[in-house]
Amino acid sequence: MSLLQEEREIILSNEYVDAFDFAEVAEFVSGASKNLFISHHFRERDKMLVQPRGGFPTYEQQYALYEFFVDANVDVLPLTVDSNTRLNDYATAKKMLRLSEENDMDMLNGYPLVTHGYRTTRKMITHFNKPVSLRHGTPDARLLIETAIASGIFEIEGGPITYLLPYSKNFPLDKAFLYWKYVERVCANYSQLNEPINRESFGPLTATLVPPAITIVIQLLEMLLSLEEGVKSFSVSFSQQGSMNQDIVTGAVIKKLANHYAQQIGCDDAMINLVYHQWMGAFPANEDFAEQLINLATVIASMVGADKIITKTRQEATGIPTKEANAKTVADTQYSLRILNGLPTVVDEEEEEILTLEVRAIMEAVFNDPADTLWRKVFNSIKNGIIDVPFSPHIINQNEMITIRDARKNIRIIERGNVPIPERCYEYERSQCDLSKDTTSIVNDIIHDIGIMQ
Amino acid sequence: MKVVTGVVGNDIHVVANRLIDLSLRARGYEVFNLGVNTHLEEFFDAVVETGAEVLMISSLNGEAEGWGREVPLLKSRYSNLDDVIMMIGGNLVVGSGNTEDIVARYKKYGFDLVCHQMDLNTGLDMLQSLSEERGIA
Repeated sequence: MSLLQEEREIILSNEYVDAFDFAEVAEFVSGASKNLFISHHFRERDKMLVQPRGGFPTYEQQYALYEFFVDANVDVLPLTVDSNTRLNDYATAKKMLRLSEENDMDMLNGYPLVTHGYRTTRKMITHFNKPVSLRHGTPDARLLIETAIASGIFEIEGGPITYLLPYSKNFPLDKAFLYWKYVERVCANYSQLNEPINRESFGPLTATLVPPAITIVIQLLEMLLSLEEGVKSFSVSFSQQGSMNQDIVTGAVIKKLANHYAQQIGCDDAMINLVYHQWMGAFPANEDFAEQLINLATVIASMVGADKIITKTRQEATGIPTKEANAKTVADTQYSLRILNGLPTVVDEEEEEILTLEVRAIMEAVFNDPADTLWRKVFNSIKNGIIDVPFSPHIINQNEMITIRDARKNIRIIERGNVPIPERCYEYERSQCDLSKDTTSIVNDIIHDIGIMQ
Repeated sequence: MKVVTGVVGNDIHVVANRLIDLSLRARGYEVFNLGVNTHLEEFFDAVVETGAEVLMISSLNGEAEGWGREVPLLKSRYSNLDDVIMMIGGNLVVGSGNTEDIVARYKKYGFDLVCHQMDLNTGLDMLQSLSEERGIA
């Protein structure tokens, strides 16, 4: 038996799992409908796929949510997992599920997938026969993704960096890399049985003034970590940044460089997709304004040429949205996409060049780390600040980089910390901003720049 | 002057914490930032370890109320903390409340400066005045 299989048996003999049948699951994946695989849709469809967010505690609620989504002409269904399951606290998830079922009151902020189990969940997924995307935020997602794939969920979001640095203060980053290596291998192995399982990275990170160079570097590294384990379909992503031009430039550079680096490690047979998140920062409380923002994001996603868009709702400012509000966004976004025709092509060569140089310089610094494996190089690079994520709560993050918006609302790096931004690019970034201000005014500007859409 | 700062409890709201850090440094303080999700004991231990003159605790999700009550008892277990300027700021209650009542309550818990929903720089100006008054600025 391989080491991986030994580890799988240990993970799946968890007391909260009801007898995992490896052979039956492999047989299910082999014979599963192509419609369940988002990788199949990416290849076959010429329109941008629309995916909302959403997860409710009980099976009935999740089923009802999917019915609403299907009525609204959804392309990809979400399965958002509750926060107890994300932290591997299956006992609490189980208790809270029972309380939710007995009291008609939601005690969980998502669907406790491990607690429901794959036999139950698979009934729902195969009934709707649409691709489902697993949304979580789990540093140790080994049991979760086994359960997901066995349920018919063939897109797995996340990664060791993007699911850790924005969410956790002190979960060990090196462990996260190893846990995610397991995820990549399991996805790669199942991909050999039918259409590929798609892996998607979480580009928004902290959604707080993260400059595109950092976003892209982390997307590329998670992509490489996944492809090197044998994953054949991968989505890089980023979220609306606040400047249409910067989004278009980011989209162009990330697509170009994703293909370049995939090719460099001999993985050009893998399919690389681009996902765009509607605005991930603080939303306006005015629900009509929120809809305007959502529509604007859809226009930008089209300009960027995204393969999939992930939607927000008009209730974003107030909490977990109702299924009605969630379905409304899907219908509205589909309508916007249908009428968005004849878009112009916008290319900003100067900005593209600057951003490309920045990303390449950081990637080179990561590759030049003396460690023997890619994940160790990336680990060291985060530890020593070659990669620095603004507003990450994690203790390993350097927190030396400072970013603000320029007059056109582009995110600019005014303090690079240890990030090896080339001199020419650094001068360019700084030249776009008023640096004569004192720190008090800059802090006030940062507060304003974070809340730009409110 | 040395300042220990951080966000108390199971509160992961990091944005203000970074901005406080930045602003304190700009004003010339030596900052020991414990970040988010920090327990009360960790704050006091850090003050002892660094010899800080100021302890600045922040809270956004309102749970400081629960932790605040424990301050007097916990502080009494440490010696030599009497001269430390204790400051707390952010959103100090769950829901809404009268600022005067909130300030009075936190002063009873042993905080010298209480900045409920106050502008960051106004709070830092208050710190400056108090440290000058005590002759430690």
